[in-house]
Amino acid sequence: MRTVVYGYPCSAHVDPVEKKPFFHFLPGSKTFSLATVGCNLHCKNCQNWEISQANPEDSEASLCPPEKLVELTKKNDCQSLAYTYTDPVVYYEYTYDTAKLARDSGIRNLLVTAGYINREPWKRLLNFVDAARIDLKSMSDDFYRDVCSATLKPVQDTIVQTRASGVHLEVIHLVIPTLNDKPEQFRELSRWVRTNLGSEIPLHFSGFYPQYKMRHLPPTSEETLDMARNIAMEEGLDFVYIGNVQSKLGQNTYCPGCKKLLIERVGYAIMQNRLKDGCCPDCSKEIYGVWK
Amino acid sequence: MTRRKFIQELIKGGAAIVVGVYWLAEKTSPRKFIRAVRLGKYPGSLKPLADIHKQGKWSG
Repeated sequence: MRTVVYGYPCSAHVDPVEKKPFFHFLPGSKTFSLATVGCNLHCKNCQNWEISQANPEDSEASLCPPEKLVELTKKNDCQSLAYTYTDPVVYYEYTYDTAKLARDSGIRNLLVTAGYINREPWKRLLNFVDAARIDLKSMSDDFYRDVCSATLKPVQDTIVQTRASGVHLEVIHLVIPTLNDKPEQFRELSRWVRTNLGSEIPLHFSGFYPQYKMRHLPPTSEETLDMARNIAMEEGLDFVYIGNVQSKLGQNTYCPGCKKLLIERVGYAIMQNRLKDGCCPDCSKEIYGVWK
Repeated sequence: MTRRKFIQELIKGGAAIVVGVYWLAEKTSPRKFIRAVRLGKYPGSLKPLADIHKQGKWSG
């Protein structure tokens, strides 16, 4: 087996960590983000399809070996390196070597992934990972097969494995009108998260925009995302967020103990962060996350 | 051929079959981890790294 994208990112940028989104990992910090072309999923709704569904032969990339990535991360005052935009599973060897090198240099490693990977390689990679944001696109195997050319069970296994490993975890769910936007679907997903991962794992409901092979569907309404958030909170999840739309309440972090505002966000900006050593300043409840 | 010789040959043959089957099973069973080999040359076109300081236009 050969990897043709090792050392050749098609995209590299300094992003706020909130853009990934990570809401409970070094809020307000910058992360050096990169991707190579390609993905092991073929989601019909992919927002990054121009790079995720491209072949290396038809793409443009820059030579950037792991050593240079680490150097650029330091030079740009980023606290972390994010393997994102497409899926780090596809450029596994590049991710693995860079993550190892970055850890030695005191840089944190963040994975943004669909989690469609076998247990053993994931276990090896997790040794060098500080945080993972994993998509849970649906609770239906048919959805995974029809929309993503994948299956549900390996993704669920990856999420559970990540939680058990102690690596910081946040889960995201893209809400696509008519496909996975029913109240009972939100309830089933929220219950699964609470039962298998715990109530403290942040869950992001993200809005869909017509893209790629799903241009015939409308964007997700803010009401639907609000409903999803309310259902997830009814099901006992402590941190439920709304993304890809302007939402005042759905972007802030509130203390699950005393319900007071802890982190106020507008877009990707942190307006205030009241956490004291990872705890609520009012009731001293410890908040799940990596805060320093 | 004496009976002892025959039994010796039988044991040898049996052992060879067991070793062969084990070797074949090991070869054909899926490996848990494979590391891809790096290809030196990028098959697409190369460009210098640009706009690093600009926020990425891609989702995630």
